[in-house]
Amino acid sequence: MWMSSICFIWGVFFFFLSLFMFYWVIYLMMNNIVYFLEWEVISFNSVKIEMGVLFDWMSMLFMMFVFLISSVVILYSKSYMSSELNLNRFIMLVIMFVLSMALLIISPNMISILLGWDGLGLVSYCLVIYYQNIKSFNAGMLTALSNRIGDVLILMSISWMMNYGSWNFYFYLEFMKNDFEMLVIGGLIMAAAMTKSAQIPFSSWLPAAMAAPTPVSALVHSSTLVTAGVYLLIRFNYLFIDSYIINILLLLSGLTMFMAGISANYEFDLKKIIALSTLSQLGLMMSILSMGMGDLAFFHLLTHAMFKALLFMCAGLIIHMFNDIQDIRYMGGISLYLPLTSLCFNIANMALCGIPFLAGFYSKDLILEVVMMSNLNLFVFFLYFISTGLTVFYSFRLSMYLMVGDYNLMSVYNLYEEDYVMLKSMFILLVMSVVSGGMLVWMIFPYPYMIYLSLNMKLMVVYVSLLGGLMGYLVSVMKIYSLNKFIITYKLSSFLGVMWFLPNLSTYGLNYIFLSLGGKMFKNLDMGWIELYSVRGISLILKKNSIFYNFFHMNNFKIYLFSFIMWMVMFLFMLII
Amino acid sequence: MYPSLNSNKMFFYFILFLSTLISISSNSWLGCWVGLEINLLSFIPLISNTNNMMSSEASLKYFLTQSIASINFLFFILLKLMWMKNFMLNNSISILINSSLLMKMGSTPFHFWFPNIIEGLSWFNSFILMSWQKIAPMILLSYYFYSKFIIIIIIMNSIIGAIGGLNQSSLRKIMAFSSINNLSWMLASLLISENLWIFYFMMYSFLIMILCLLFNSMNLFYINQLFFFNMNYGIKFLFLINFLSLGGLPPFLGFYSKWIIINFLIFNNFPMVCFFLIMMSLIILFFYIRIIYSSFLFNNLNLKWISIKLKNKQLFFYTLSSLISIFGIIFSTFFFM
Repeated sequence: MWMSSICFIWGVFFFFLSLFMFYWVIYLMMNNIVYFLEWEVISFNSVKIEMGVLFDWMSMLFMMFVFLISSVVILYSKSYMSSELNLNRFIMLVIMFVLSMALLIISPNMISILLGWDGLGLVSYCLVIYYQNIKSFNAGMLTALSNRIGDVLILMSISWMMNYGSWNFYFYLEFMKNDFEMLVIGGLIMAAAMTKSAQIPFSSWLPAAMAAPTPVSALVHSSTLVTAGVYLLIRFNYLFIDSYIINILLLLSGLTMFMAGISANYEFDLKKIIALSTLSQLGLMMSILSMGMGDLAFFHLLTHAMFKALLFMCAGLIIHMFNDIQDIRYMGGISLYLPLTSLCFNIANMALCGIPFLAGFYSKDLILEVVMMSNLNLFVFFLYFISTGLTVFYSFRLSMYLMVGDYNLMSVYNLYEEDYVMLKSMFILLVMSVVSGGMLVWMIFPYPYMIYLSLNMKLMVVYVSLLGGLMGYLVSVMKIYSLNKFIITYKLSSFLGVMWFLPNLSTYGLNYIFLSLGGKMFKNLDMGWIELYSVRGISLILKKNSIFYNFFHMNNFKIYLFSFIMWMVMFLFMLII
Repeated sequence: MYPSLNSNKMFFYFILFLSTLISISSNSWLGCWVGLEINLLSFIPLISNTNNMMSSEASLKYFLTQSIASINFLFFILLKLMWMKNFMLNNSISILINSSLLMKMGSTPFHFWFPNIIEGLSWFNSFILMSWQKIAPMILLSYYFYSKFIIIIIIMNSIIGAIGGLNQSSLRKIMAFSSINNLSWMLASLLISENLWIFYFMMYSFLIMILCLLFNSMNLFYINQLFFFNMNYGIKFLFLINFLSLGGLPPFLGFYSKWIIINFLIFNNFPMVCFFLIMMSLIILFFYIRIIYSSFLFNNLNLKWISIKLKNKQLFFYTLSSLISIFGIIFSTFFFM
């Protein structure tokens, strides 16, 4: 029964696909090979539409991670979605998602990237609205429309790229770098990547998308969909080196990182905290990318994918145990009842904080040290380090809320780890979030980064982490009368707690203008004078005239003949005179 | 549908067709007048039917209008002969002669008899009145017309045809007003050349022939009959196609003739005439669609005890004609290879 279920079949299939990809990663890396396959779909007046496939170690490695996470998530769904009637549909959606992600990863061509990109947007919409309630519809619409902006930007960059005769951006990045049009394309791609990776003007959809089922969040909103933008920018990285437009991205992604770190501390929804921490880490990836270190961004992308997916899956299990309650204030003391889950959760959290020799340590520590080595202004520097502290802050707060203290939900309740299906799939990622950092740092960096810092600078990361951990502990043990003191800074708290008003900005802020304008247009034009002077007016005139005209036909036949004679006589007199 | 094979009637049909030929092929105005008179006198017995009071009324009305038009025509051609000999000058005389001919063909300012009479005719006679009876006056008009006057008449025709038919429930009146509208197209083609007129006239006659035959074979005289009749869906489809074709919707045959005329009108610098013709044919198309649309989609009752059966031979003929009406444009391209 279990062996023949769709989850098992596809989970195992993706797992072996992932191993196969791993083999290819090793092969391509060792021999330093890139395979580039190209199929010319149509050639039209010296413009070629092609389907290109690029197999290099980067795409293979990313594919390996995506397939691993998706295999684990599909196995996990067997238990998590066990009471779902349309499990097949759910798994099919996930598979479609993975396939469009794969299409995005392997294509070096703008048009085929657009296919994958649109597929991601569409399927993620279907997955976010999977529970089909108002909240998820709204979240899905916000997600889909935010991503749609990115689709449109990619379409625009496609139209800008037509001059080059082909859409294989891979060939033009270095060659056309000083071209103005390539700069425009770069700007469009950058903005598109910002929508997909939820950077600051567009970041409200990522926490909203937590309305999706938790396995979906683990797959989509931690490691695949949101990193698609980062991956695209890594591919375009050559274009952005020494380019001034990327400074905008540096600022915005730094602010995203900071904003998400702060908002996560105000949040009490378990999944939203994790989503905001994802947002913060995306900001980290984007900012190191915009400083020119694409390989570091990629490295962090991969390690982050591992522990963040694990974190989501642990959260899903906990939510399952707590009768689908997500508020962390109801939770507490689960380390006594769910030891293995707590193990996974804590390891993932620590990896996120960058505790040494877990996955996150290798990437984050390297990124921060490279940041300290590079030529930066103070503002960006502070953004980096405050955000690093904030990461530890909210991670510790979350851990303390969940693990320590009393159980807060109901008085008579028994928590147990439901079955081993979820746990087994979590263990795979547990292993990966321990070893993937070390494994990758040995694999993808042919020579180590040279880091040369003074002692205090070197210990800077430790300082901010310790400070953040301390604050996280203190916040979590805060009593209710201390929490009430926040009323003094109510305005500041409400600003920081709702992601700097970004959700309001991208929902009411946009809708209000267009809806009110549309309402006015509808009232004044559609129902107003356009109706009067075009459709209704014409038909009214015709109707009136037709009725008036029929009046002539009521006359006597004699009068018709007489009028004809009169007409003739009139002209005859004109003739004579 | 088929005219009864009464030998008297056949005789009058023969004279009807022959008199038109006399009229259009004579080389003097008097000969034309003679042809017109014979035509009038031969059509009267065809209209009148002793069983139907409406048709005798129609025959009387027809006689009165046509004879008054003929008197005026005779008077003015004689006057013209006296004053101008055989010169053809554009002055009031030409307007007067044109007016009498317009009266004969039922064109706008003098068209009041036309829907009135057609209400009393059978479908076959209506078809004759709408097509064949227009030949002689129009050909005569093409000999001698005052083009500025005719342009005004064209525009009036197109407007009156569109406005008048909008509010009718009788199918014959609708066809009469559509004939008035199509008269404007024909007059516009006369402005340009006679060949163009022949082309348009043949297309128009063909299209209204199908419709008149269809109406006749099902005894349809009012719009509401279309809703009640237990019609085969395919036959309704024939109505739809032919009405759309007659209205000049692009893929159909009726568009072809209108297209050519629009083309020539624009080449010959009549943009305003062209504008009026196109706009008014939109209104025409609107009430054509309104006839068939409601019976096609919303409002069809199926009565069990009235059902329309068509003979296979008839149905074959209608479908073949409708096929030409649908694909006529495509077929016509084969002739120019």
